[in-house]
This record gives sequence, C-alpha cells and structure tokens, in this order.
Amino acid sequence: MKSRKIYNRIAILRQEKGMTRKELAEKIGVNFQTVGYLEREEYNPSLDLAFRISENLGFPIELIFSTKPLKSMMEEIIQLKNKIGEP
Amino acid sequence: MKNQKSKQQIRIFILLNFSSLIAGISLFYLVKILQWPISYLLLEIVILAIFIISLIKAFIVTNSWKMVHTSPKNLDEREMTIVLNAIRYAYSIFTILCLVIIYVFAIGKYFQPIDVVLASGLLYLAHMLPAAIIAWTEKVL
Repeated sequence: MKSRKIYNRIAILRQEKGMTRKELAEKIGVNFQTVGYLEREEYNPSLDLAFRISENLGFPIELIFSTKPLKSMMEEIIQLKNKIGEP
Repeated sequence: MKNQKSKQQIRIFILLNFSSLIAGISLFYLVKILQWPISYLLLEIVILAIFIISLIKAFIVTNSWKMVHTSPKNLDEREMTIVLNAIRYAYSIFTILCLVIIYVFAIGKYFQPIDVVLASGLLYLAHMLPAAIIAWTEKVL
C-alpha cells in the first residue's frame, strides 16, 4: 500500500524555537539527517515520532502535520479568529 | 549539482568494487581451470588495489557499511526502514546469484568444487550487497 504524503511545518516551527536540526534531532532521538528528510516532506514519521516532535516543538500535532498542503501560520490564525468570531 | 556528481561517483565506485571482485575471482579460475600461466596472477595485485580503493570510497566514506552493520538500537526509524528494504532486495539478488553459481559449478562443462576463493567472494557479497543498495539509492546517508 502506497502511503499518503504528509505535509508538515517542522522547519518553520523549529526555526521559530531557535533550534538547529541537530538540536531537534537529539531531543526527538533521531539522526539529524532524518530531520532534514522530515522537513523536506520526503519521509512520513511514525505516530510515536510525530508525538515526540509535537511535544518538543510545543504545538499540537494537528498544527504541525496534515494530509493536505498546509497554509501559512498567519492564514491559519486569521481563519481561526474568523471561526470564533473575534474582531 | 554537487550531490548529483558525488552520487554518480559513488555509483561508479560500487560498480568498480563488484567488477574487481568478479575479475579477481574469474582470473583465479581461468588460471586454475584453463591452466593459464601462474604469472597472470600478478594482475590480482592491480585488481586488489582497485578493489580496496573502491571499497573505501563506496562503502566506508559513505557510511553505508556502518549503517548496515550497526546494532538496530543505534538506528532511528527512517534508517531502519532503509536498512530493512536494502536487506530485502539484497536477499533476492544474493539468492538468485547463489543458485546461478551452484548450477554453473554443478552442471557446467568445467565442474569444480566450490572452493575458498568463491566462498569468500560470496561471503563478501552477502555482507556488502545491502550497503551497496543503500549507497546506490539513498540521497544522503
């Protein structure tokens, strides 16, 4: 069975946290090259690894990973604000 | 561009390594079975040099050898997937190769018992095929 492509925001959130690939790799227990593969969306992480990434970046898993191409964070925030009816 | 070039270089070294292995074993059997002059075996020195250099460049520098032979505890999930896939393909290739060799040696015109030279060649191949598949296919190791 061919797996679906999983889109993610790892690169942008890692940079936001001021972490290098190596630092994130150490925290989530993988080779730093694997972080590169994840960021380029060339490798789909397991559920366990996805949770480790989410815990270390401090964002909910659904904000980091998606099966559909991800919008920019700003667009996402505007959409959320519109949903809850905030001015 | 640079990655593309180094990838091609790695592939050339892999081909050189296996070609030199085949050439070395073939030369040994040609001298043994067809009774070519023993001095031809001096060529083995050149073949051995090519074999060692290509072994270092294709498998040791790229770390693919280490990846295949390290404990699974030291690999992350992506590396494990790569290694398991490589072992799967290597198993198929090695099995077919062994069957061909056994048939050639058992049924062929020049029936020979399988000796230490061929056995060591096969042992080397069994160890190196997964590493070769990884070095050949993977972008970055």
